[in-house]
Amino acid sequence: MKLTIEVWRQENAEAEGRFVTYRVDDAAPEMSLPELLDRLNDQLVSAGEEPIAFDTDCREGICGTCGITVDDVPHGKVPNTPTCRQHLRSYDDGDHLKLEPFRSASFPVIRDLMVDRSALDRVIASGGYVSVDAGTAPDADTRQIPFQVAEAGLDFSACIGCGACVAACPNGASHLFSGALLSHLTALPQGRPERARRARGVVSTTEEEFGPCSVYGECVEVCPAGIPISAISAVNREAARAAVRRRRDD
Amino acid sequence: MSTPVQSRSSKASGPPKAGHGGLPSVYAKLIMAVTGAVFAIFVLVHMIGNLKIYQGEEAFNSYAHWLRVAFYPVLPYEGLLWIMRVVLLACLVAHVYCAVLLRRRGAVARGRWRRRGLGLDVFAARTMMVTGVVLLLFIVFHILDLTLGAAPAGPDEFQAATHEVSHAYANLVASFGRWPVALFYIVAMACLALHLAHGVVSAVVDLGVGVRPRVFSALAAGGLLFGLIVALGNITIPVAVLTGVLQ
Amino acid sequence: MNTFRRIGDRIRSTFGPDSEAVSKPQTDTPDPAAAQGDPAGTPDPPARGHDASRDRTEPPANHGTRGAEGFVGYAGEPLDGNIPDGDPLTAWARRKLEYKLISPLNRRKFKVIVVGTGLAGAGCAAALGELGYNVVSYTFHDAARRAHSVAAQGGINSARARKVDNDSLERFVKDTVKGGDFRAREADCFRLGEESVRVIDHMDAIGAPFAREYGGELRTRSFGGVQVSRTYYTRGQTGQQLQVAASRSLQRQVGLGTVDLRTHREVLDLIVDDGRARGVVVRDLYSGEIEAETAHAVVLCTGGYGNVYFRSTLAHNSNVTAAWRAHRRGAYFASPSYIQFHPTALPVSSHWQSKTTLMSESLRNDGRIWVPKKSGDERPANQIPEDERDYYLERKYPSYGNLSPRDISSRAAREEIEAGRGVGPLRNSVYLDFRDAIGRLGRKTIEERYGNLFEMYFDATGEDPYTEPMRIAPGAHFAMGGLWSDYDMMTSIDGLFVGGEAGWGYHGANRLGANSLLSACVDGWFTLPYSIPDFLAGHLGEAPLSLDHPAVQETMAEVRERTERLLSIGGTRGADHFHRELGEILYSGCGVARTEAGLKDALERIRELRGQFWSDLRVPGTGRQLNQELERAGRIADYLEMAELMCLDALDRQESCGAHFREESQTADGEALRDDDGWCFVSAWEHTPGRDVHPGKPVRHVEPLDFRAVPLQTRNYA
Repeated sequence: MKLTIEVWRQENAEAEGRFVTYRVDDAAPEMSLPELLDRLNDQLVSAGEEPIAFDTDCREGICGTCGITVDDVPHGKVPNTPTCRQHLRSYDDGDHLKLEPFRSASFPVIRDLMVDRSALDRVIASGGYVSVDAGTAPDADTRQIPFQVAEAGLDFSACIGCGACVAACPNGASHLFSGALLSHLTALPQGRPERARRARGVVSTTEEEFGPCSVYGECVEVCPAGIPISAISAVNREAARAAVRRRRDD
Repeated sequence: MSTPVQSRSSKASGPPKAGHGGLPSVYAKLIMAVTGAVFAIFVLVHMIGNLKIYQGEEAFNSYAHWLRVAFYPVLPYEGLLWIMRVVLLACLVAHVYCAVLLRRRGAVARGRWRRRGLGLDVFAARTMMVTGVVLLLFIVFHILDLTLGAAPAGPDEFQAATHEVSHAYANLVASFGRWPVALFYIVAMACLALHLAHGVVSAVVDLGVGVRPRVFSALAAGGLLFGLIVALGNITIPVAVLTGVLQ
Repeated sequence: MNTFRRIGDRIRSTFGPDSEAVSKPQTDTPDPAAAQGDPAGTPDPPARGHDASRDRTEPPANHGTRGAEGFVGYAGEPLDGNIPDGDPLTAWARRKLEYKLISPLNRRKFKVIVVGTGLAGAGCAAALGELGYNVVSYTFHDAARRAHSVAAQGGINSARARKVDNDSLERFVKDTVKGGDFRAREADCFRLGEESVRVIDHMDAIGAPFAREYGGELRTRSFGGVQVSRTYYTRGQTGQQLQVAASRSLQRQVGLGTVDLRTHREVLDLIVDDGRARGVVVRDLYSGEIEAETAHAVVLCTGGYGNVYFRSTLAHNSNVTAAWRAHRRGAYFASPSYIQFHPTALPVSSHWQSKTTLMSESLRNDGRIWVPKKSGDERPANQIPEDERDYYLERKYPSYGNLSPRDISSRAAREEIEAGRGVGPLRNSVYLDFRDAIGRLGRKTIEERYGNLFEMYFDATGEDPYTEPMRIAPGAHFAMGGLWSDYDMMTSIDGLFVGGEAGWGYHGANRLGANSLLSACVDGWFTLPYSIPDFLAGHLGEAPLSLDHPAVQETMAEVRERTERLLSIGGTRGADHFHRELGEILYSGCGVARTEAGLKDALERIRELRGQFWSDLRVPGTGRQLNQELERAGRIADYLEMAELMCLDALDRQESCGAHFREESQTADGEALRDDDGWCFVSAWEHTPGRDVHPGKPVRHVEPLDFRAVPLQTRNYA
């Protein structure tokens, strides 16, 4: 199939970007979007041009590295599917695709389709963990966790950290990411001793780095990990709870 | 709070921060949720009160009069009204302030590239600012029109209430007798419906209620239903006036 | 092609009609990563088809059979693995007692560089940070969490032995050693098993939501051909959950300031001075800047090299560069030819497909594997009549058919494909057909059993496995080989440690399912934090090399020169062209089955390809910017050297063991024929310095393997 592809090209973080239109004449329905870019890049390299920079790694939807905006939708037209699992069979011969980076002021463009998502890590570093040193943990079997609680924790810990929720949000909010982090560690007893402390850190960094949530719900439309929308309310809930707990950690 | 130990791109400056001093956004959202809930309850009660107009002029006027003398002498004349006015005004100021604050922060955080390609399902959410502004203008007009009777908002025939009697019915019919006013009222009510449709959902989530996806859909439907009930209840009145049902 | 016809003929003639009795069906393993080891789980039957004299506990006398004379050099003295003497069961405890300590006040005076942030790297960096050392952690990813540990699905083994299914540490070791076909270091396996208990406790404590029973206890499942239930898991995303928990622990140390995490930096060389690892040279992938960092010790947790095959189950960016550069600086590389192939990977369906995603092997319970009888048959699968289909596994192994062991299945599929009977657009796969199963059991049952897998298959291929057969092919999966290290995880370069898949110790010639996550966790959290301080203790008061030191400057200059060289070739082909071709050479020459002729041919072609690479490569752009083509080119340059060593190792090792199947060494019934008299040792390769971009001469060192607790015996599927 023949595709016309409009791609955001931006030399570096400081440069002005622009859309450049390319054509791929031998695209195939079974190609994934990163493979389409591989194909296009091969064309470009053969022609002596610089290939399009884009993030990609595991290509099976678990590492969260890939992420581009396709026709204004983060990751692409199939809902809840990461870029690497979006295939060209969703398109017809002669279609026109517009590829651009994840758009958010919190994700500055590094080059072409690559953005800097380190803000997400700064949220984690500010409290999104359990403070247990190696070797000090009690026997895991002595901590009984009901089946459903473990499953509930997993629903939220499934987040792959791709940042699509931020890119989908008209406000550039990361509440789905931050809320999943808080919900995961709140659901499990392991996370309880520093629940309030974690909430203070995570929420304040979330606010420094990202926008406020207006409950558009766009994030859950694109989330490849299927994080439930209940995550976003955890940010306000945990923040309010932490405020009530005053200086207590738990 | 964050510790930017992690190295980033070679650029010395990090990404533009949405960060800010002042009121944390989570509190701003909580304030909006609480004040919004106050408004939601108010408009519902207000609408139910409005419907008394169908019980006739006397009933409606006596209801309007009762609002002024309620709990007298525990409260002074118009005491209840003033309490409500003060509370509502405070809520309004807080609600609008937080809305502007959050909108600005959202715009900064999103940056230069607006989110495009949003579906109709988020129409209400996207238009909160528009419907909010319309409602704000409407509130001002509405007070000038039917509370103060100030020209040019109020009808020429406006009669102010006295300690003994209210002319609410006549004022209302006179006001809605002017079709542009009635139309504006209907438009404002449509905005109210939209504003409530998203506002209810947003308030519930912002108050920290973790709704599961299916419940979320139900909540969204409930918000819309609530907005429509309030709006349609009110809209019947100008329609009734224009069609001569109320005279 | 002729070579392969020949090989195929030989296999067919070897697997006579009455030879099927050996290939016992593999028990269904729910985990795609499950190994082929001892699938039927028979408890140590007497060795069959095997000289009884080989079944003994003493190491064979001969430490140095030579199989590639003329191609490589051979070192005289055997390597010392520095294994504690005496009972291997208590070796780790005794060794820990011997380790020197560093007082908490002195720890911050030491700097340790940890390369990689997967389970091993993140664990090691976080644990050292918790102890109070200064850690610099490097990853080429944009975030620590993205390391490829994240993609492991099935689970993590642990010898907690809580159930009354008679599991124990000894049994864990026995399974691991046997699964690895007696080419692992037994003492390491004991440590692996012993520390596995704490791994589960720790990963649970830092937030990995392990599956729980309704009673609230940890849930286990049985896995990868062991008879006990010792695999802990979190749905199908165990690796992700462990990796996320580990990277959050790392982020905690980042927040506390003990770990300086430097993302998007790729280690391009090791700084060695006076025989000791002193630091690394990295390239900032965003800016292109070449930076150096020095420290008291360097730890490489850089993962496996399966991507050398171009299409593998690995992530796109996984590479061997850091380990290979360390190798070129003097670190020995152990068993590079041991690569596990997974028989039910998704085939390559188009030229541009970039990987072979894993499908669970459980599909073979109900699916029938076949190819058209006629080579080059163009008809769609459903139009090929029954009598023109060749259910080759059922034909060759009538008793066990489609459930033949993993290595047999992989090799048989390869044979059909090489003979031109492969199916699919690129004729590189075989059918796995559910038509009969659906007819027999109904669609609903199949949907219940495999619904999510079918969905995953549809997602990846766009083909509906309910109506047309799936296509599968063997895919390169896990590297058992890696940098050689002694019992303390230190490589042959002083101060250079290795952990996780980048190392070699536990898996021998074949990894047991759910042992890879375990080995990474044990290395990172519970081995390196003990053994590194022991090394550091001898260097109290020393400062890391100054960045002006000649060794640092020279290494940086060499990296710059190498980068410049890659950029200045000015040829016509992008790096991926060479990688793709290299993958093809390796899949055919050094793939699931190897022959002397095939390996020699592959060697020749690799050398030729390397020549082309250095004369016809085109890397657009410059080195002073983000340049992914340059990144790729550097990695592929190293793969081109690595591939040669893989082939040399495979050529040298004239026995079959585990995943290394030399057709010259098989039993009458087609089983891998191990030769413990000749080859009961680990080959650890050294390269003489070489010149420019060309590696020097490979020299083989030998570490004899000594099995005290698990007597040498044939892996038996009967």
